[in-house]
Amino acid sequence: MSDFVEAGKISMARQAVERLRANMRRTIKGKDDVIEQVLVCLVAGGHLLLEDLPGVGKTTLAYALARSTDCTFSRVQFTSDLLPSDVTGVAIYDERERKFVFKPGPVFANVVLADEINRATPKTQSALLEVMDRARVTVDGVAHAVGAPFMVFATQNPVDYEGTFPLPESQMDRFLMRLQMGYPQPADELEILRTARAGYDAIEVNAVVTRAEVSALQALVAEVFVEDSVLDYILRIVTATRTEAEFKAGASVRGGLALRTAAQARALVLGRDFVLPEDVGALVTATLAHRLALARQTSDALEERRAVGGVLKRILSSVALPV
Amino acid sequence: MAWQHISMETKRPQLSPDEMQQLRWLLGGALTLLSVVTVFYLDVEAWTLMALTMLATIAVLVRPTWPARVPKLAHTLAFPLIAAFFLGDLWIKGEMLPAMVRLDILLLLYRSISYRQRRDDMQIIVLGLFLIVVAGVLTVSLAFAVQVMVFAGCALAFLLAITIAEAESNRRVRPNAPNLGEPPRWAVQLDWGRLGTRLQAVSDWRVLVLGGVLFAGVVAVAALLFLAIPRFQLENSLFLERFISKKSRTGFSDSIKFGDVTEIQQDFGVALSVDVPDAALAPASPYWRMLVMDEYRDGGFKLSAALIHAAVAGERTAAALLGTERAGAGAPAYWTFYLESGVSRYLPLPGRFGELRFREAQHFRPSTELAVVALVAEPATMTAYRVEGMTLADALPDPAFAARWRKRDPSTGADPLLQRRINLGPEDREILGRLAAELGDGGAAEFGRMASAWLMKQHGYSLSPQIPRGAGDPLVRWLASREAGHCELFAGSFVLLARTAGYAARVVVGFRGGTWNGYSNNFTVRNSDAHAWAEIWDEKRGAWLRVDPLAADAGATAKEIGADGAALARRTDRSWTARFDSLRVFWYRRIVNFDARSQEETLAAVKTATQNTGRRAREMLEHAASALRAWLAGPWDARRWAGVLAVIAGGTGVIWLWRNFRYVIFDFRLGRRGRREDPVRREAGRLLAQLREGREGDGRGAAGPEETETRAELQRLRFGARETWREPVAVLRRARGVARTLRRRGR
Repeated sequence: MSDFVEAGKISMARQAVERLRANMRRTIKGKDDVIEQVLVCLVAGGHLLLEDLPGVGKTTLAYALARSTDCTFSRVQFTSDLLPSDVTGVAIYDERERKFVFKPGPVFANVVLADEINRATPKTQSALLEVMDRARVTVDGVAHAVGAPFMVFATQNPVDYEGTFPLPESQMDRFLMRLQMGYPQPADELEILRTARAGYDAIEVNAVVTRAEVSALQALVAEVFVEDSVLDYILRIVTATRTEAEFKAGASVRGGLALRTAAQARALVLGRDFVLPEDVGALVTATLAHRLALARQTSDALEERRAVGGVLKRILSSVALPV
Repeated sequence: MAWQHISMETKRPQLSPDEMQQLRWLLGGALTLLSVVTVFYLDVEAWTLMALTMLATIAVLVRPTWPARVPKLAHTLAFPLIAAFFLGDLWIKGEMLPAMVRLDILLLLYRSISYRQRRDDMQIIVLGLFLIVVAGVLTVSLAFAVQVMVFAGCALAFLLAITIAEAESNRRVRPNAPNLGEPPRWAVQLDWGRLGTRLQAVSDWRVLVLGGVLFAGVVAVAALLFLAIPRFQLENSLFLERFISKKSRTGFSDSIKFGDVTEIQQDFGVALSVDVPDAALAPASPYWRMLVMDEYRDGGFKLSAALIHAAVAGERTAAALLGTERAGAGAPAYWTFYLESGVSRYLPLPGRFGELRFREAQHFRPSTELAVVALVAEPATMTAYRVEGMTLADALPDPAFAARWRKRDPSTGADPLLQRRINLGPEDREILGRLAAELGDGGAAEFGRMASAWLMKQHGYSLSPQIPRGAGDPLVRWLASREAGHCELFAGSFVLLARTAGYAARVVVGFRGGTWNGYSNNFTVRNSDAHAWAEIWDEKRGAWLRVDPLAADAGATAKEIGADGAALARRTDRSWTARFDSLRVFWYRRIVNFDARSQEETLAAVKTATQNTGRRAREMLEHAASALRAWLAGPWDARRWAGVLAVIAGGTGVIWLWRNFRYVIFDFRLGRRGRREDPVRREAGRLLAQLREGREGDGRGAAGPEETETRAELQRLRFGARETWREPVAVLRRARGVARTLRRRGR
């Protein structure tokens, strides 16, 4: 990699990220780490799966992010009777033009909030596959590009199993990261309680970053330098998940790529043009946990999440940092 | 490539608790073997026990599950049985130390065939230490020095393994009785090959080297202390040797049956090492007299009680013994003898002497008349003695015997001390008389020559003689036959012939010859040099003449004093055996027989050497300084200026190269090791780790701006793209400064 990011570009990127961060912090209280990871995901151009109990601010987070940029935002509430065409859009016959005209669905936006994604049937879930992977929708043989940048922001409730269809592993693999919100700290929650607003539509967030700036940031990620030993470090972590007895299967190649891209994005978010091993370490759980399944049965999903996280922590501590 | 990196950079593996137990088992077995082997040096009757213990230890090392098969009853009865054995041993044999040694081996045997807990492992160390110390004090041998060092190293490793294994197993529940029921898991899984591979994988050569260096340092310090502390006699202060009633395995005793000396000749071990003051004075083939035997009875010679009564003085305890020779003018010449244990209680002496001095007081019985010195007890350790005024001669004057000879009754020869008695039946006497008559009567010396020549003509030399069957005395039967024989037969026959002819004669046993060790420059006499010869009384000279029928020039008593150098050179031994023997002699000279005088000599030599080195260094410096001054004072022409400038330029160039390209050198070195890693990245990584440690060690306050900035720059050098580096050398230098500051603050 001969070309490297010029100092000017880096500082611009950093300023943009800082504006976004500051803007989101005004809405999302006490969740700086989550904000940072979300920003990483945005900069990396990946999709995000937010997993937590209802009412901890998942939607607010997605909305705050979308509103902080001048990106278009759409929200799809997934239900069991939602059809693929309800998501992607449908071709309807136009009487006047005497031909089928494509009516874009809600995915035609820059930030798509797929709320309660595991409530939809697998067929509808998989309708998201192509659009998440290729950022386009093909209907009747015609490909329609969705917005650029494009980011799917899916949420799901891991506890509630009634009438849900767990995401298949192939679908899971397409999310760059999976995050948990967690309850806020008491002090932060008190501040949330003080605010008078009711719904997230009432949030007043100004766009601080343009769509073009987001695209530029995403383009810049590929130029963040990753030294060989750091690549090795990633490889060793990924390999370790594959030889780990507790996992049914290790992380995929896509998982390794995701870890690298996310680490590059984190470096950029923190204003660096090179990746540190710490970047990798900080993102292992977020980028790999949802791609791994335990070999043994667990009592519930939360238990499994915890167990997977624990094993990953152990792997991370056993793999030597490049010195 | 990536996979290689993985294997190289993963953390060093660690031994599992089971593997620690296996290592512990191995070291315990090794210690048991090491300490049991020391008993070989002791003359304790414990061969069966030793063999059993060693076999059992090796067996359980190879098959560690076997201890589980020992029935429970054996463990219950073990200690009562061992105690009973010990008491019975004491009761029957009545010797304290051998009984304790046997008890020790028995305990080791029991410990080696049962699974051990920590205190049992400790017991092995203590039991082994007991054996090692006892063997060391009693033998003072070079092998002991080596063994105690190996033992110390092994015991240290063992203690470490115990400590680690215990720390590990403390976290788990430990079974109270490890020897009952199933073998432990580690024993079932034990595979020495795999353990070896694992040990190789987990051991860091740096730690091993460090440990080795530390151990060598401890040994060196101990050696220095040994050289410097005042001498005292360890063995006498411990009284240990008194506990062992020693019976020599090989060696001379008071009576010689035919074949005894020949049996000793089968042993190639060193019997005696002798330091001679001047190699030129050393005889090419000396006769080391040990014992004189006069009485012939029942086919063997012995020292008669009458002669002992008449010629051997009473028991005496002293450190020195005055001889008959008076020291001549000039500096005294010392012969130092190191007589190995188990050879004899008779001290080998090549002739008459002025003074004999032991290292410490000894109980002994001297006989000036016979020129023989006998220790009262068989020495359990090497015996060292120094002889001053040694006179080598083939004739031994004996005024006491001359007086007795004059007073004899020639008709009967009844005086038992005349050393003429034959104690044979009339038939044998007749045969002897007939043979003796053939040899003529030309005086003692002439008779000796004639008889030797006749014997050599009549008989060949053989180490396995055939004595013809028949009636009468076996020696006479042999003499009358033409069978080949060994030295004892020759000497004995000669004595019988001489006595028949009317001469006084006696058999002398000891050693003949020996080799000259070319490494340590001393005589080495081996058990295989054991020899028997005869002495015949020469009335005219008033002395005993040596007659060795087997000597090359039999009749002529060889001129050996001031022996030709060629003969000595022929006997010079430069083999590997001699190399080892020279180590032994070095050990004896410097360590064992180290009295205050030689200690002072050594220290003085060290001091002189140090002073000389210092003086020489100072002289060299002064010389260099004066040369420099002279050079500076010389005329400064253009050529000289050019030379100076060239040197300065060269030096600057080297410094510049070092500052800018040393990483290239690193690179080269790293490349040779097969790591294609950038030297700058490597150095930056090292410094980053130092900063991190310094920060962790400091613990106070946040990092200052300089430190934060340095860290960021280092991170760039370590992980950033090469094109973005800004002045890497300067960054590294600054970072070193920061790391130093952090370290100082940490302290």
